[in-house]
Amino acid sequence: MFKSLDIKTPLIVLTLGVTLSLSGGFIYAGQFDIGETATAEQIEGWDIDIRPDGKGLPEGRGTVEAGEVLYEERCATCHGLFGEGEGRWPVLAGGQGTLKDERPTKTVGSYWPYASTLYDYIRRAMPFTAPRSLSDQQVYDVTAYVLYLNEIVEDDFVLTKDSLASIEMPNQDNFFVDPRPDVQNKRCMENCADPKKLMITGTLKGITPVGHFVQGADAPAASHDAQMEKEQEEEKQRKASITGEAIAEQHTVEAASLSELALAGKTTYEGACKVCHGSGLTGSPKFGDSDAWSARIKKGMPVLLDHAINGFSGDTGVMPPKGGRVDLSDKQVEQAVAYMVESSQ
Amino acid sequence: MSKIIKGPSTRELMEQMVQESEHLSLSDRRDFLRKGVAAAAGIAATTFAGRSIAAEINKANLPPNEPAWGKQLGHGVVEQPYGSPSQFEKHVVRRTVPWLTADSIASISMTPLQDLKGIITPNGLVFERYHGGVPQINPDEHRLIIHGLVERPLIFTMEDLMRFPSVSEIKFIECPANGGMEWKGAQMEALQFTHGMLSCCEWTGVPLRVLLEEAGVKPEGKWILAEGADGAHMSRSIPLEKALDDTLVVYAQNGEMLRPEQGYPLRLLNPGWEGNTSIKWLRRLEVGDQPWYHREETSKYTDLMPDGRARKFTFVQEANSVITTPCPENPLVKPGFVEIEGLAWSGRGKVKHVDISFDGGVTWVPANLKGLVLDKSLTRFSLVTKWNGQPWLLQSRSVDETGYVQPTLGQLREVRGGNSIYHKNSIHTWKVAPTGEITNVQIT
Repeated sequence: MFKSLDIKTPLIVLTLGVTLSLSGGFIYAGQFDIGETATAEQIEGWDIDIRPDGKGLPEGRGTVEAGEVLYEERCATCHGLFGEGEGRWPVLAGGQGTLKDERPTKTVGSYWPYASTLYDYIRRAMPFTAPRSLSDQQVYDVTAYVLYLNEIVEDDFVLTKDSLASIEMPNQDNFFVDPRPDVQNKRCMENCADPKKLMITGTLKGITPVGHFVQGADAPAASHDAQMEKEQEEEKQRKASITGEAIAEQHTVEAASLSELALAGKTTYEGACKVCHGSGLTGSPKFGDSDAWSARIKKGMPVLLDHAINGFSGDTGVMPPKGGRVDLSDKQVEQAVAYMVESSQ
Repeated sequence: MSKIIKGPSTRELMEQMVQESEHLSLSDRRDFLRKGVAAAAGIAATTFAGRSIAAEINKANLPPNEPAWGKQLGHGVVEQPYGSPSQFEKHVVRRTVPWLTADSIASISMTPLQDLKGIITPNGLVFERYHGGVPQINPDEHRLIIHGLVERPLIFTMEDLMRFPSVSEIKFIECPANGGMEWKGAQMEALQFTHGMLSCCEWTGVPLRVLLEEAGVKPEGKWILAEGADGAHMSRSIPLEKALDDTLVVYAQNGEMLRPEQGYPLRLLNPGWEGNTSIKWLRRLEVGDQPWYHREETSKYTDLMPDGRARKFTFVQEANSVITTPCPENPLVKPGFVEIEGLAWSGRGKVKHVDISFDGGVTWVPANLKGLVLDKSLTRFSLVTKWNGQPWLLQSRSVDETGYVQPTLGQLREVRGGNSIYHKNSIHTWKVAPTGEITNVQIT
């Protein structure tokens, strides 16, 4: 449709892509002359991408040792201490030799073709709850450690601009450009198949959330919150059946009874804390679970707040400082803690 | 108008199917569909699923009585300054399959294709796919930078972009994982989940070609990196050839500014290509001489083959189709005339033909294409026939203008195995039981 837009016949006198003499210098000008010239500073701030040949990599020197500390603090809650993945969060390591299996494990080591992708992705999107919060140096360290977890580099490896681009990933040569169309069906109209040879297989039951149209269906959860609730409940039942303990009733306090401090913390909770505390990921006390919270609440608000702001290593899991969201103010953390505590008593 | 045709001709097959459906309906189904039950019991259609299940029909509103809403006044203008659907349409919503992803922030929801008419998806029902949630972007603070191998790097405000001559085009957008849960077997019991990662809108914006010409691409420029302003800073490499062909930089959909879920205030649209290349919340375009191989084009959105090797840059969404009436959510309620309807689409151009089979692909009859038949758009097809309680194995098969014929599942599996996740565009089968109940089956 835009072919009808005749941009080859400009109304203004400029022809396409000429160089104009302005203020004594030559600059390129398009047909419409809309938009400003982007400054080097503007571009530098946003130009975060890395290529396999190392283009885009900043200066830096990453070590496995420094990466381990950071990884355990910022990454392990979701990806597991050894890159094995918690819950449904991505598995980072292992899986070599499984790509032809019935259930392949696609990891950085078993599948990713280039090490540069790891630096690029951590820099642009990780940690999940606090993207763009790591320094370039920290990205070097964590990248080195994830490569180490995948046995691609030794523990004394030093990751730099040059050494990263020279790493050969195990699966690098196993990608090829899309060859489709790769199958050729015919527009047959009659006797297209032998009716006696048709194999008809039904749907696997019980995994589709069909509660909205099937009456009385024992349907799976229809939302992530409901799914978490369900898995949490199943886990509780399982534990209770082992220990013989009675299952304590969970209850969530209505929003109306929350203090002003707690109400102010709802937004921070949703954006920063819920990823782990919504499901009780890696031993974190789950939102609304009074059992999980009672012992912690007994320690008192100052202790809880100290752990939330400065980080804490407990029996069941690790709380990174501010949950990894160093951009949050202490006040915001306090509000979010109040929101969780008051909702989980 | 459509030809009226008979159902399957193979008597043996029909008998075999009757036996099988009886067996299935007795032992395998947990429940009858509400509609099926209602029809069987001869009750008026009061129990359409999703519409408040407990709601009873108030007989005082039925003829010959004057209904309550005719004996009083309704609300006035701007009571709802931005209108919303009727309170009786609350069941028409996007839905997700929670176990697919770890969290709702990096997840996907599906469009209720079973409830939609025509080819346009209403803005609030366009499927969602986020890698880091939906950012709330102030358009006055949003910028698009074009840099890299260009003569003049540019930075645009939204106001700048909206000054360019605009184009409006109707295009589908589909996630390459649409249908991807069913490579190894049928496991979704509803159309919304088998095909709902698919929507179609009228998109308004500027051809990317115009912006690139404004910046002046250097001769070495071969690829574009597109990047989002969201927390995932979602990025994809796109060949310059596509960027200069039909890629759009879009700021409006179906007549209004983009919804936040669809990239407000600015997104890319690569017509016919896998949805994730149409970067939302677009903030940066870099021209380079080679692709970047970022996470979403290596770790994800590559197609693993049985030999352990993987296809990369599998951009095109090949010709596909599905019957939307009937479907598991829309069972056949009573014998008699039925309009079989569905949607067909191709990332390579226009849909040329759609054929329908009632017998699992043994015999095919042409369907009619209804309304607009546009390039890389959803196209609605239809066939009016009669259903007298006979079992059907209902299929649709699209052919696009390049002559490509939608393949069978067997053909796809033979080449690609069961682990390629993406681009499963095979012929889909709904099994129609004598009760009118519809179930998802696979035929190989």
